[in-house]
Amino acid sequence: MRSLIYFLRESVKGFSRNLSTALGSIVTIFLSLLIIGIFLMGGIVIENIVSSVESEVSITAYIADEASEADISKTKSFIEGLEGVASVGFTTKDQALENFRNSMTSNPEIIDQLDGENPLPASIDVELSDPQLVEQVAASIESNSTFASICDNPSDPSESLKYGQKTVEKLFSLTSYIRYIGIALVALLIFIAMVFINNTIRLAILARRKEIAIMRLVGASNGFIRGPFLMEGALHALIGSLLSVGALELLRRFALPQLQNALTWLPIDIGGSIMAMIYVALIVAGLVIGLIGSAFAMGRYLKV
Amino acid sequence: MTNDLSQGVPARHARRSGGAHAASARQVTSQLSASLPVLEVDDVPQQMGKPVITFDHVTKIYPAQPNNPALDDISLQIYAGEFVFLVGHSGSGKSTFIRMLTREIKPTQGHIYVADEDLGSMRNWRVPYLRRNIGCVFQDFKLLPNKTVFENVAFALEVIGKNRHVIKTQVPEVLRLVGLQDKLGKLPDQLSGGEQQRVSIARAIVNRPPMLICDEPTGNLDPQTSRGIMDLLERINRTGTTVLVATHDREMVDNMRRRVIALDRGHLTRDQDRGVYGFDA
Repeated sequence: MRSLIYFLRESVKGFSRNLSTALGSIVTIFLSLLIIGIFLMGGIVIENIVSSVESEVSITAYIADEASEADISKTKSFIEGLEGVASVGFTTKDQALENFRNSMTSNPEIIDQLDGENPLPASIDVELSDPQLVEQVAASIESNSTFASICDNPSDPSESLKYGQKTVEKLFSLTSYIRYIGIALVALLIFIAMVFINNTIRLAILARRKEIAIMRLVGASNGFIRGPFLMEGALHALIGSLLSVGALELLRRFALPQLQNALTWLPIDIGGSIMAMIYVALIVAGLVIGLIGSAFAMGRYLKV
Repeated sequence: MTNDLSQGVPARHARRSGGAHAASARQVTSQLSASLPVLEVDDVPQQMGKPVITFDHVTKIYPAQPNNPALDDISLQIYAGEFVFLVGHSGSGKSTFIRMLTREIKPTQGHIYVADEDLGSMRNWRVPYLRRNIGCVFQDFKLLPNKTVFENVAFALEVIGKNRHVIKTQVPEVLRLVGLQDKLGKLPDQLSGGEQQRVSIARAIVNRPPMLICDEPTGNLDPQTSRGIMDLLERINRTGTTVLVATHDREMVDNMRRRVIALDRGHLTRDQDRGVYGFDA
């Protein structure tokens, strides 16, 4: 315990001894953690958007007017048995017209021009539990012979299936793209932060090499000699990560609501508990970077 | 080079039997001490008490000079409470000898035992505890310029985890022993060379190690100051501390008539009681 206090005192002294390099390592840690944090927050926002789009991923299978009740229910139960299907509903021709009319409230004359005829087909509505499976489910429905016989366009059953395939695919490729870029950037930044910490600790070791020589001479244990440097690296990292946590919190408080106001249709809000987890993760990551960086420097410049 | 074949009166033994109070760390007799071959050089120190330092056919070859061993097949024993001079020209292996004792370097061949522990097989984490039992004094003092005399000596206790109470009692006591009780608050720069060396000796013995090793302790000092330092080392030796002094100082060795171990280009050329420096100037 006493030596912990000693380590702390020594590492704070090291601070003033090499102010510029200490600031350098703090700032790099701060920046890298800040960017990691922004990526995490952005990832969560995108995750939110994706899941809101995903919940809208459904397959609509149009049914011919003359399809029999039995075939329809047979197809429904077949679809219900497929993997990745959450629920199966049915929209009659009348309901379809009603939905259409509701969406066309701004110009009801379109409906009037139908002259009482109903051109809209009935449909089976499939909600998916796993949006990644959308194509697989669609293909299964398409190749089902009962469906092929009752679908709205028997010459090509795939024409009777409608789903937001392209949107989902684009979104997935975008998120994985962003993820890769983020990982690469974060890896680079962590590397830079470690180089900075390594350099700071190297200078601290050089500044104290006389003391270290005497400590070895009089038999200070290796842990005691290393302690202050480990502590110094950890301290810099801790300060850097606390700064980045503060900056992220400011972003969340002030920048996110602005963004939400500008993009009202997107769900941007991030829950407090998730942010707390991000903050803890960032501080832990900072400490690990600091400790590894200084351990690396000691391995190279501090022979005990 | 070594022409003092007639020296050697074994008066040392009487002295050593009186020095039974010599400090810790030598409980068990080295099994090696019995099996060691008798030294073939000059008058052989007879085995009395227990050796604290045993060199058993130690050879050190630095990688830079593979054909020129820094120490070549050295075997000797140093007993608790002895005062030993290690003499030789520059490059004779004195520093290698000392650095092997504190296990800064390991022997290429052979074994070194300090208090019955083989330094060759000693685990790294135990080395600091070895060094706590060996005080070291150097020609260049190795004091920290930004710490006062008191702080310099206290530093040696602080870094091995001694508490404040021990530091407050032991540091003034040891500074009184070396005669610097009035200079506690001075910085090393404000002291003379001899005083700085006393601080360095105080630092070496403040933890009361059973062994004190000095590498050219008077190399930077004038003869009179050197004499004072040697008196101090002798006084420390009388409290039971084993003292090993590597030196060039012919006059001092000749005056003090203690055991002399002479090295010449890595070979042990002489080991005699009450010896003299013996090299041509």
